[in-house]
Parts: sequence; structure tokens; C-alpha cells
Amino acid sequence: MKKPEKLIKNGKRLDGRMPDELRPLKIEAGILERADGSAYVELGANKVLAAVYGPREMHPRHRQQPDTAVLRCRYNMAPFSVDERKRPGPDRRSVEISKVTREALEPVLFLELYPRSVIDVFIEVLQADAGTRTAGINAAAVALADAGVPMRDMVSSIAVGKVDGTIVLDLTKDEDQWGTTDMPIAMVPRKKLVTLLQMDGHFTKEEFGQALGLAFKACEQIYGIQRQALRDKYAIKQEK
Amino acid sequence: MLYIQNRELVVPGQLIAEGGYNVREGAFREGKQVFASVVGLAELRGQDIRIIPLQGRYIPKPGDVVIGVVVDSYYSGWILDMNSPYMGNLFVSDLLQRKVDLVREDISQYLGMGDVVVAMVKDVDDRMRVQLEAGEPGMGRVKGGKLVEISPAKVPRVIGRKGSMLNTLQDVGECELRVGQNGRIMIWGKNPRMINAVVEALFMIEREAHISGLTDRVHLMLEKIKSEGGE
Repeated sequence: MKKPEKLIKNGKRLDGRMPDELRPLKIEAGILERADGSAYVELGANKVLAAVYGPREMHPRHRQQPDTAVLRCRYNMAPFSVDERKRPGPDRRSVEISKVTREALEPVLFLELYPRSVIDVFIEVLQADAGTRTAGINAAAVALADAGVPMRDMVSSIAVGKVDGTIVLDLTKDEDQWGTTDMPIAMVPRKKLVTLLQMDGHFTKEEFGQALGLAFKACEQIYGIQRQALRDKYAIKQEK
Repeated sequence: MLYIQNRELVVPGQLIAEGGYNVREGAFREGKQVFASVVGLAELRGQDIRIIPLQGRYIPKPGDVVIGVVVDSYYSGWILDMNSPYMGNLFVSDLLQRKVDLVREDISQYLGMGDVVVAMVKDVDDRMRVQLEAGEPGMGRVKGGKLVEISPAKVPRVIGRKGSMLNTLQDVGECELRVGQNGRIMIWGKNPRMINAVVEALFMIEREAHISGLTDRVHLMLEKIKSEGGE
């Protein structure tokens, strides 16, 4: 795709959204049979699967921590998730995303309840359209709750950025590519605690404040959908 | 002040109450507020708040009866798999309830690899090392029977309110059951067909734990298989 002349026309974006509007978000909890907990997230064209195993015995044994559980995260993109085939396996980018995902989730977990064990989180991106790390964190948080891992709260995550000089929420691939700034954020909604903040590009102080405000509002919205996904799976159903 | 009803579904981070309540498993306190930490049903009993989890691994706690499988042995005891992140330790003296002279006695005559053992959790230390004991009547090595494994979070459903579900399974299914808190269940019975029916019933409980009227459905299903008769 060539760079479009304008990314925002008459206040609307390429896909018709307003600058402060999320893409359609769908979250489903507990869709994998074999994992202890799982979740599937669709954020616009993003399709992300998260699976959680554990707490379970840590192997290799020398990585056990005597007083706490260890959280391991793996973010992985399927070869078919992007236009040009992605070479399978961990690369610089996915190793980094795995690390920041782990750090975004760790603060909400009661890891100290399970010494010597490990909790594994696997995030598989099936289809990517910018914002996969945020979709992955949203999915992982629901999957952890679905696995019954004690948590202080959920973690909700979204990207904000600047496109054609306008602060926009939840960038698509084209906006990410041709825009000037991309800033993924993860937060613990109840306490408004930011657990992930990365930025590619520039913001002025005022723009940063405005972007953060947008992200906070969107995270509240995502938080609601995450909780609803869990309720939908576990609600007591009446006999037919 | 309570923000939810008794037996209401809660999700992690949900505000349950404010004030001086006793916070038990599945919940935590932050200042004066009490929040849920797992997905589960809130049980409010007097001043006590606990969340009955609907998912999750078995975490050993003293007093639980568990069913373990011997995976390893050492000089003075065995290591048992408990369907949990943690292994259980069973000393010979805690199995036989007497002093054992390890020089004179060969302990391999009591338990071997792969044996199934009903045991009680004696102690769990703060590094989650588990001590088991199996001296009481009805405990120790299991002879015969069938072993079924379900999710540990569904064990309360298998027992039911005041043991109602367990009674249904035993009476209608004509079997004897031993339920371990770790999600392992031993079944003994005379009629292999009814044993299999009870196994099916257990899987049905695991599958449909969230649908109301479960005890009646299990009853109906077992009665139906029973009435079809034959060996």
C-alpha cells in the first residue's frame, strides 16, 4: 500500500473511526481444552490467542525461586500473521515484547503464594494489524484469571499515537506505518497503575497528557469487556 | 458494608466489601476494602468472606485428604505426585505409624513405584514442601478400584451440599468412593458397568458444574443405566 494523501479526512480516520474510538473488540475466555486457562481476542483485524499453564513445577530446577513463583511469557507471531511471511521463531522484537508483557502482568499476580513453581503464558498472534502486544496483554490477563491464578486486578492495554498531527486511539497498521507516533500502554484499571509504556516517535508534553487520557478511558472500556468475558464463561446457567 | 450477594459470581479485582471482615481464600484486603482475587462464587458467612474458586490447580493445605501416586523412593520414604505443582513426601514411619529400623527393614515391601496412596497432608512449610501421613484407617496403599482425575476446583461439586452428590453416586451407583481434595477419586464396586457409569457421572459433573440441577441429572442418568441392567 502506498502512503495515502491524508490519514484523517473531515475528522474521520481511514476506517471511518473517530480519533478517540476503539476498533471492535471481542474477548472470549476459556476456549482451549488442554491449557489451564485461555483467551481469544479480536481487536479489529488482530487475532490473538493466549494460553496459561500453571502454577506448575518449574523446569529447569535451577530457575526455581524458593520464595515465589516465576512468570514466564512468550509472545510469538505466526508466520502467516503478516503480509510478508514472518520467519518463524523468536527474534529481537518478540523477545522484547515477551519481556515487557511479563513486566506488565507481574504486578497484579500473587506470585508469592506459589513458591518454587512457574506460571507459563503463551501469546500467539494469528493475524496482526498493529497493537498486537496490547491485544496480547488483554488476552493474557483474561487467560490468567481463567486459569484461576490469584490476581489483584486485570490488566488492560491499548495503543495511542499521533497521525496527521491528531492524537488517535488504537492505531491500525497503516496509521502505525504512516503516522508519527505510536505509544502502547498497559494499566491496572482499578488503581490506574501503568505497567507498560513504550513510545516510538515524539509527543509534546501536552500531547502526551492528552494521549494518556485517551488511553485511560479506553482501558476502562476494555476492562469492562474483559470482566464480561469471564462472567460469560462462568455464569451459572439454568437447566434447559 | 457488602457490595455483592451471597454466592454471586465475582472476577479478580472486584470490590466485595468494606470494613472489618475476615478475609479467607480467594480474596484480599487493601486498606478497608476487600477484593476478589479469583473467578469464583463469593461465600459470605457472618464476618467471613471467602471465594470458592471455579478453576485452578490443587494447592496442598494441612488436613486435606489427597490421593497420590508414588513416583520416586528414597532411603526413608517416597515421593508422591499429587496432581499439584508440588510433590508430597511420605516417610515410612508416617505410613506405618511406628518406628522403623531402616537398616533391618527393606521399605520397598510397603510401597512401590506407581502405587496409589490415600494420604493426609500433615504439614506444608513456607517453601511449600509437603509432608504426608497415611497411618489412619482407610488410608495407605489402595488395592483394586478405578482412579479418576478431574479438576480440583470441581471437587466440592462432587461432594455436594452436605455430601448429597456423593451419596447419590455411592447409593445409586452401588460403588464406594474416596474423594481426594486434589481432584483424584477412587471408585470400588462389584458391577463394572456401574463403575463405568459412575466414571461417566464424574466427568459429567466436571463438565456441567456450572449448570443448576446437577444432582438430579446425575441421579437420573445413573438410574437409567442401572435399569438397563445386565453385567
